[in-house]
Amino acid sequence: MLVSHKWLSQYVALPGQLDRLVERLTMSGLNHEATVTVGDDRRIDLEVTSNRPDCLAHIGVAREISVLFDQPLTIPDPQPATGGNPVDNEFAVSIECPQLCYRFTARLIRGVRVGPSPDWLVERLATVGIDSINNIVDATNFVMFECGQPLHAFDYDRLAGSRIVVREPLPGESLLAINHANYSLEPGMCVIADGERAISLGGVMGGAGTEVSDATKNILVEAAWFDPMSIRSTARKLNLHSAASFRFERTIDAEQIDWASRRCCELILQTAGGELTSGVIDVGRKRELRQAISFRPQRIEQVLGIAIPEARIKKILGGLGFSVQDGGDPARLSVTPPPWRNDVTREIDLVEEAGRVHGYEHVPDDIDVPLVASVRGHRDRVIERIRAAMTALGMDEAITASIVPEKWSSAFSPWTTAAPLEASQPMLGVLDRASQNVGAVNLLRRSLIPSMLEVLRINESRQNDQINLFEIARVYLADSNKLPVEPMKLGIVCEFEYVRLKGAVESMLQVLAPATILGAHSCDLPLLDITRSAELRVADETLGWLGEVSEFARNAFSIRCAAAIAELDVSLLVKLTDAVTRHADISPFPAITRDFNLVVDDSVRWDDLAATIRRAGGALLESVDYKETFRDEKRDGPNRKRILLTVVLRSGDETLTREQADATCKSILDQCSREHRASLL
Amino acid sequence: MSSNTANDSPLQQFLGARQGRLKAIQKNLATVPGPDKPAAGQRLNQVKQEIQSALEGARASLDSAAHARVRDPRFDPSLPGPRVRIGRLHPITRTIDELKEIMARLGFTSAEGPEVEDAWHNFEALNIPQVHPARDPLDNFYLSVAGKQTTGPGNLLLRSQTSTVQIRVMETTEPPVRIISLGRVYRPDTADATHYPMFHQMEGLLVDRGITMAHLKTMLQLFATHYLGAEVPIRIRPSFFPFTEPSVEADYFWNGRWVEFGGAGMVDPHVLQSVGYDPETWSGLAFGLGVERLCMIRHQITDIRNLFTNDVRFLRQFH
Repeated sequence: MLVSHKWLSQYVALPGQLDRLVERLTMSGLNHEATVTVGDDRRIDLEVTSNRPDCLAHIGVAREISVLFDQPLTIPDPQPATGGNPVDNEFAVSIECPQLCYRFTARLIRGVRVGPSPDWLVERLATVGIDSINNIVDATNFVMFECGQPLHAFDYDRLAGSRIVVREPLPGESLLAINHANYSLEPGMCVIADGERAISLGGVMGGAGTEVSDATKNILVEAAWFDPMSIRSTARKLNLHSAASFRFERTIDAEQIDWASRRCCELILQTAGGELTSGVIDVGRKRELRQAISFRPQRIEQVLGIAIPEARIKKILGGLGFSVQDGGDPARLSVTPPPWRNDVTREIDLVEEAGRVHGYEHVPDDIDVPLVASVRGHRDRVIERIRAAMTALGMDEAITASIVPEKWSSAFSPWTTAAPLEASQPMLGVLDRASQNVGAVNLLRRSLIPSMLEVLRINESRQNDQINLFEIARVYLADSNKLPVEPMKLGIVCEFEYVRLKGAVESMLQVLAPATILGAHSCDLPLLDITRSAELRVADETLGWLGEVSEFARNAFSIRCAAAIAELDVSLLVKLTDAVTRHADISPFPAITRDFNLVVDDSVRWDDLAATIRRAGGALLESVDYKETFRDEKRDGPNRKRILLTVVLRSGDETLTREQADATCKSILDQCSREHRASLL
Repeated sequence: MSSNTANDSPLQQFLGARQGRLKAIQKNLATVPGPDKPAAGQRLNQVKQEIQSALEGARASLDSAAHARVRDPRFDPSLPGPRVRIGRLHPITRTIDELKEIMARLGFTSAEGPEVEDAWHNFEALNIPQVHPARDPLDNFYLSVAGKQTTGPGNLLLRSQTSTVQIRVMETTEPPVRIISLGRVYRPDTADATHYPMFHQMEGLLVDRGITMAHLKTMLQLFATHYLGAEVPIRIRPSFFPFTEPSVEADYFWNGRWVEFGGAGMVDPHVLQSVGYDPETWSGLAFGLGVERLCMIRHQITDIRNLFTNDVRFLRQFH
């Protein structure tokens, strides 16, 4: 809200120093943004919160100043002279949509001379950033910025049928507004019509057909009260926001309408001459019933932590326009808010009024606050360990948007077959320039991977190297009739090959839950290369998927280089991780290490071979480690491979002898030979 | 098959105290006929001493080579070592971790809740009635199942503030309560340098008997001191939020000017009532911070979109 320093001083004496003024306004709720000099005036920019429409006007701001600096507030009392035929004889107003227009008043002025406004009026409006149009329009604007009531002046002679009807638009109706744009009107909007057609969009903007021009002789001054929600939705639907709609949206002072109409007519008579027809047309609701609030002044100390003397409370509330009476009980006051303060309906609101004017700087900021313990959850700790492991593995952390376009959503959804949730409107401006044509960003993602492939693509296009990224975030899986499930996932996208990424995942598991045996099972997901991907399982539970990105998907996501992805379920990782590690005795005796080079069929999987070795090795087997695979068809025959592996044997009770080690190795080899047709090279 | 353990080292093989070959010879002394025994014993000792002195000699010469202080001109100590690239955490994660840590020291436990919410938790319980402009379909991401016909805005939406978590915690917990809720929130602003339709919030809530605005100001002062690492002046000034009354904006004084760091206030009695707390018995303070804002001020990031583009050169600046 822009206010003029000179204009304010019409209603209240201002402190000599501007700094003092804006500081007190800031500290009582009108945050000072900036002040600039305009001519010999100053334009003060104040931030007005949506609950204070009364401060969207100079009188409202002046009232705050009068209370803050204890100065009297002077408000003009317009009593324009009238004459001639009563206005009711001239024309009639009816409201057909009382849910959209609560009240409509009109006054008629005959014989005006439309022309330039006097200098003082041009200057006042210029200070608050409004261009002067003519003496009639300027008067309506002046009164709106004075008291907050929007007004509109019609060229009376261009109204058809001597009547005004306030109604919803007829089917197919449109309006050429004074900004010379044409608007198609829809049900739910509030139209001001004459005997024939729509002439104005109530509370939003007037129509060009009845606009005041230099030729205008007789004018009709409208001051009305429109439903805030419908004004808001109309302004948004038509993308037509005006100073009037801004004020009607926040609700106006219903009891000030007639004052504003008289004030506007008085100004027009002053600056454009003419004669005000006697009487006023005033239809609809007259006023809202205001409830008195039972107020316990001691509540202030219970809420604010400081007491404010009762006399000061009464002075503050009285100055703000509240009526304060005894509440019938010595601990209570009966307080009725003024009609411009629709935001105040409860005791707590009065506490705020007294507190903000008294000043929150009186509230101490160094009292004792009791100490309590705070608990850190297991999940939180595990996630921190996952992050630490991922960064140690050379991965940078990404954060990507939760809403994705359809093309990404359908590219990869291993966790659910249920359709994604759709947002009522897309996220705008979130796509990289090269991805603008991918479609509306309006689906809640069911996997992190597509968003991360896009991150990979952007990094590739910028010639970045070592593009290895992870993200920990939720996916959204629809659940009929309930809130969706939002499991947390760990997504990885990197330039690694399958086996290196698997190694990274295993390394992370090693840190979280070293006893975990990770199973890799074949899977068939179009995003992944079928020969280089797997579903990862721990016991019977799916931990996630891991694999190299298929050529098809690389084309779909415009990725040039080879890449691999993994997506793992964080809840399962949390479940696998022990909150506290239990210590196990370590053997003080030396180990014996043996390398084997086993020849087996290509179909033998390492997991199965290792399981056999673990079983056969029994208690003495400390570890079995994979080294390498070779193929030599000439010596070993077709479809055979050599697996080089190392076993470490150790006893917890004694130094292992060569004979014991030999015996264990023999039983391992025998078992491998029986179960996997393995032979020692 | 190969073997190689400590037991199999040559030293152990020949001189091992229990199973070395010399020991085996010593054991064989028993089989030497009586009269030859002393001579054989002497001979064995002589051999042992010779082996011992040869071993010591060898060790000494190895040691002196090790201590020879002759520079090798081919050695370049300035050559870079093979580096292991350590990844970086996202600056938003770092900011969140720091906020969590500070709040934990002040006794706040972190709580989570769903990002997809119903109208009760996102609006009604937070004193945002059916007719409130904040519920406008254009200002929220309302949700439906893709492909299904729906009429009007549904009951599900992406939460527009993390205060929803406070409602969920209070609905299931008896007071006193001291929590923070942290996470993603959504508002349909078109992305530009200062807006993004998804961002992160941290909100704190403390409900107990006799909580006043003095507690709020003290908490904000403690928070500012922890976050900025020095005791700086703070101020609160009136503002407006539906779920607090009175509502304030909190500023700290930094580098010669007041910097806004978040909204706060006393929990609105309506909010307490809607979760079944008696507002005559219990009162609370609440405050909320925009994580991106704090992160951007601290690291002098001027375009919020950089946080979500995830260019690795951007991410690798933060440590």
